[in-house]
Amino acid sequence: MKYLLATLGLLVAAAGATGIACYLLGSEPGLHAAARKGDPMAWLRTDFHLDDRQFAAIRQLHDGYAGACDEHCRRIQEATRQRRALSSGGADPAALQAADRRLTELREICETAIARHVRQVAAIMSPEDGRRYLAIVLPKIAHFDHTAAPDLHLEHST
Amino acid sequence: MDSPPDSLSQALQPWKVSPPVQGAFRADVWKRIGDRTRETWGVYVRAHAAAWLVAATVVIGAAAYTGHATAQARVRADREALAVTYLVDLDPRVQAELRP
Repeated sequence: MKYLLATLGLLVAAAGATGIACYLLGSEPGLHAAARKGDPMAWLRTDFHLDDRQFAAIRQLHDGYAGACDEHCRRIQEATRQRRALSSGGADPAALQAADRRLTELREICETAIARHVRQVAAIMSPEDGRRYLAIVLPKIAHFDHTAAPDLHLEHST
Repeated sequence: MDSPPDSLSQALQPWKVSPPVQGAFRADVWKRIGDRTRETWGVYVRAHAAAWLVAATVVIGAAAYTGHATAQARVRADREALAVTYLVDLDPRVQAELRP
């Protein structure tokens, strides 16, 4: 009986050690550290294996894009306010449709701009990492739903 | 017909053996028997090798799979969260909704 229990204990210990070893081998410490800090740039650097030159180039690209992003954001907010004003003021359907079209256009322009930007970012990465990066971000950009609050996947939450 | 007196028998008649008394003789015998039959851990494992081999393969395999799957799930979740944080900063459509 005591050998049965001893062998069982040894087996459980070996299984525990194996499980922990496989967990550690499957983990990505750099990625987890970036997630803990909530630092997307650290994520890009570690997950897509950027060297210093690539990282600096992408950071520069992001900084350059920030201005355009702000401008797009301002236009969308303005168009949204106009649309709401028309809606609450009882404007005619044609004006409302025109406001809707304007908002849709602006969002499409945005989507095109951000897709172009991420493709430029991907081009700086190695081909394989670039493909993986685009496979992660492009669907989220395409599936963004402006009518609902963005969920964790930046997809439809309604 | 009487047989002649046996001189050897007569000589042995007064001879008596007095072996030394061993108080723990019986206990010692059982101890030696026990020592011979007692199982070691190695003997036990060898005797049940097939069953333990199967059990070890299943349990350690399951532990390895669970460890790896848990790590991969965490990697996916962290990557997903970071991608969202990244795009929230980057996407004017999200910013337009988040900013006052």
